[in-house]
Amino acid sequence: MVFQTIVNYTYNKGPDQFWKTRRILKLSSHFYGRRRNCYRNAIRGVWRSLRHCTLGRQDKKRDMKELQDLRIHAGSMEHGLPRGIFKESIERCLILLNRKILADLAVWEPRTFKALTDVAKAKALEDKLEYDGMKSEDVSHFIHRGLLKKK
Amino acid sequence: MSAWARTKQWNTFTRIWHLFDATWQNPIDCAETIGLYLKGMYKPIYHPMSDCGDHVVVINTKKIAFPGQDWRWRAYYHHTGYAKGASYTRAWELHDKDPTLIFKKAVYSKLGNNLQRRYTMQRLHLFADEKVPEDIMKNITNQIRPIKIVPRTLDTYSQEEIKSFPKIFDYPKDYIIR
Repeated sequence: MVFQTIVNYTYNKGPDQFWKTRRILKLSSHFYGRRRNCYRNAIRGVWRSLRHCTLGRQDKKRDMKELQDLRIHAGSMEHGLPRGIFKESIERCLILLNRKILADLAVWEPRTFKALTDVAKAKALEDKLEYDGMKSEDVSHFIHRGLLKKK
Repeated sequence: MSAWARTKQWNTFTRIWHLFDATWQNPIDCAETIGLYLKGMYKPIYHPMSDCGDHVVVINTKKIAFPGQDWRWRAYYHHTGYAKGASYTRAWELHDKDPTLIFKKAVYSKLGNNLQRRYTMQRLHLFADEKVPEDIMKNITNQIRPIKIVPRTLDTYSQEEIKSFPKIFDYPKDYIIR
């Protein structure tokens, strides 16, 4: 090998070993036992925890989805409407609110959420989406565009 | 936190006491619904880390019903920890010993294995009959709907109701009913 420049003849030791170790040990600082301070054990733990970290990011999305679904179901069941019918109905009404917003409304804006369930109930009655405890009296106060056209 | 916000917080997380009548109900099916109330999962504010569960008072656990042959075939396993210590008790035997135990085990197994399970179970109050202590009864503000419609037995119908029941045909006078 022939080097053209004098710079390449100098021996390059690479990045500082001390700081490389520090970088790993910083990630293992919350571990228990020798995994925390011995580099040899720590590096294995760090690899493992980073792997969990990657998977955890997907798990978190799934968990939040489950929780939001549960909250929407609880909110709509307060007015006697199952979540499946509720989501289907408001989608047919072109009320395009996503899962997060609906869950937030169920928790923080119960009156707004009740208004949404009224819309959903009226649509379910019109489209004959049947569910347990379905009643026409529930939505007798509710007027929508389709109703006016019929009259 | 203002006094208004604090009061709102107290009202939101107040424990509600529910009543459930277990007459003619399948405890395995009921356990799922009662578990939701014990964990507070029927509330929109539910979060697994917030303590928003409710109390459930179950009465008439002596009158529960199992489908099919379950009273005979459903076995409850117990192990003493010593050699040959395993024992299997039939549902009807267990029910004779303690009328609340089948219901308790059904709910306990439905709650899932976690650290909160024992504390959640403490909010379940089981009574074999309708006799509930006064200090528990005065808290109750809500009743959970029964899972199954309780069927009426023949002896609850009055003589008039039986007579007015629509008939398809009359037996001939010389017909002998055994």
